[in-house]
Amino acid sequence: MSMAGFLQPDGRNLSKAGILLLMAPFFLLIGFAFLYPLLSLLSISVTEPQTGLQNYERILDTPVYGKVLLRTLWIALLVSILSLFLAFPVAMAMVSSSGAMAVFITACILLPFWSSVLVRTAAWAVLLQRNGIVNDLLQAIGIIDAPVRLLYTQGAVVVAMTHVLMPFMVLPIYGALRNIPPDYGRAAAICGAGPLRSFFEVTLPLAMPGVLGGFILVFLTALGYFITPALLGSPQEMMIATLISQQLREFLDWPFAAALVGVLTLFVTAITLLFSRVFRFDRMLGGQV
Amino acid sequence: MANGAQTTAGAEITVRGLEKKFGQLKAVDDLSLDIPSGEFLALLGPSGSGKSTVLMMLAGFEVPTAGAITIDGRDCTRLTPQKRNIGMVFQHYSLFPHLSVIDNVAFPLKMRGASRADRRRRAAEALEVVRLEGYGDRMPSQLSGGQRQRVALARAIVYQPRLLLMDEPLSALDKNLREEMQLEIKRLHSELGVTVVFVTHDQGEALTMADRVAILRGGRIQQISAARELYERPANLFSAGFIGEMNMIPAQWDGSGLMLAQGDRLAPPEAALIGAVPSGVATLAIRPERLRVSAPDAPGALAATLEEVVYAGAGTLLIARLADGTEIRARVPSAGLPRLAEGERIGLTFDPDALLVYGEAAA
Repeated sequence: MSMAGFLQPDGRNLSKAGILLLMAPFFLLIGFAFLYPLLSLLSISVTEPQTGLQNYERILDTPVYGKVLLRTLWIALLVSILSLFLAFPVAMAMVSSSGAMAVFITACILLPFWSSVLVRTAAWAVLLQRNGIVNDLLQAIGIIDAPVRLLYTQGAVVVAMTHVLMPFMVLPIYGALRNIPPDYGRAAAICGAGPLRSFFEVTLPLAMPGVLGGFILVFLTALGYFITPALLGSPQEMMIATLISQQLREFLDWPFAAALVGVLTLFVTAITLLFSRVFRFDRMLGGQV
Repeated sequence: MANGAQTTAGAEITVRGLEKKFGQLKAVDDLSLDIPSGEFLALLGPSGSGKSTVLMMLAGFEVPTAGAITIDGRDCTRLTPQKRNIGMVFQHYSLFPHLSVIDNVAFPLKMRGASRADRRRRAAEALEVVRLEGYGDRMPSQLSGGQRQRVALARAIVYQPRLLLMDEPLSALDKNLREEMQLEIKRLHSELGVTVVFVTHDQGEALTMADRVAILRGGRIQQISAARELYERPANLFSAGFIGEMNMIPAQWDGSGLMLAQGDRLAPPEAALIGAVPSGVATLAIRPERLRVSAPDAPGALAATLEEVVYAGAGTLLIARLADGTEIRARVPSAGLPRLAEGERIGLTFDPDALLVYGEAAA
């Protein structure tokens, strides 16, 4: 397929050099603000206090760090799955609605982006506190007799993170669903497929690129998520980002924190590669329906 | 007959008082129609005529606001599409892009619970019918437009439906391929014996393919008849103008003869009158290919001033004007045509059976 590519104002295709020049600020920023700090952290992790892998050995030798890592993976997975189940119906509603309804749903999805994550997390703290509205409600309908501890639990972290990250699941799925021509649903129906079969045989397979795209986006973001676990989570059940922050700010142990960053980076890279290997990243990012 | 094809008796369809409103707009208005078993019916009309809406209601994608649709004696008015056992070919093929050709064709069989082996065998047979044997393992994206259309056809006929709906299935193909597919679909129709309802805005396609053509305008049927009658005796001026080219000359009917504005008086045969033609304002219609060129003062000729001569190989188009300003076109064979100059006075002659007379109400 021939692509028009980047056009100059006179309508000609931009040269390769021109394209590179336009992208230079982006690459500079990535290099300066992402690659350089990351690489210097990684080098600290293997050079201080002495050259060697002792920082990494410490992670492997101390069970609690392995636990933090596993817990982080588990929570990220849980958040991704919850987001998926919440997001899919929303994306379907967005695709099938039009006019004012479509604007309303889109606004509901995008509105949270107008407030900071901090505010949204704090809102959950208010809702989940001992004499907060959730406890009141549960007592009112008789599920519990006395207020229970909701705040500073893994559950609170999962719920709040799902809330914050769900839009990143909705948008790619919406994109994929919107690309499915309505005639496919009609074709499935006239071929004898009821609504459920039509969904599983046609809609879902064709929405898979969006599902996987959203899943990887939410999962990877959740892996390194900091604010929500730090504010709503229990200190006894840390996630890796909070652990890194603790090592940096409370123990000033840069080399060990750097090793943790190294492990996190390793996981993120491995998972990304795995996904792109198994599910073909290029297809996921648009192109083929 | 290709070995895979099995003849099925086509469905018999009755449509009574069908109506579909979208808000205030009546897309289909009190439409009644009988389609006998095995007929190939074309629904022809300009965009917005309601032809596609009729098809959508036959398929079950739209629910009529009034009226009834019966297929083989069974009331299908409100039945969901998946329960109708209809085959359908869509304008943009609508093959499932994530399934191979054979899986696309086998899809309706899978939905009907056929075994895997049975599905593969029957899908392969259907592919053979549309002359695509050996293409089963390809993906739809690897096929050309014409091949995709054949796959869509195979998917529509694989479970031997008694009714096949087609929604402008050839409009996305280029001209040569379109003509080839027209013949292909006709062949399939006669091989399978299935009833076909075919929506198109291309009159040539409708005339070539269909046993009968229904012309729609404003959600109503203007005329429904066989191709030849439709072309040679259009039921009203809309049909006359919609199918092919037609010269329409304003005239006065006095009960026995026709007065043209420029003074000619014609006495058309009884058969030329379409419906009841009351005395008064009338229209004389005549196909351009039924006119011949003569001297302006030849007996029975309409005198006109030649405005344009368009030579197109085998035929030549003459555009002339009557004294009252009415444009009149003649398509005549180029061979033997005298050298004509623009601005020249010519005469146009015709056989009496080429004339059609419409009363004022037939507009």
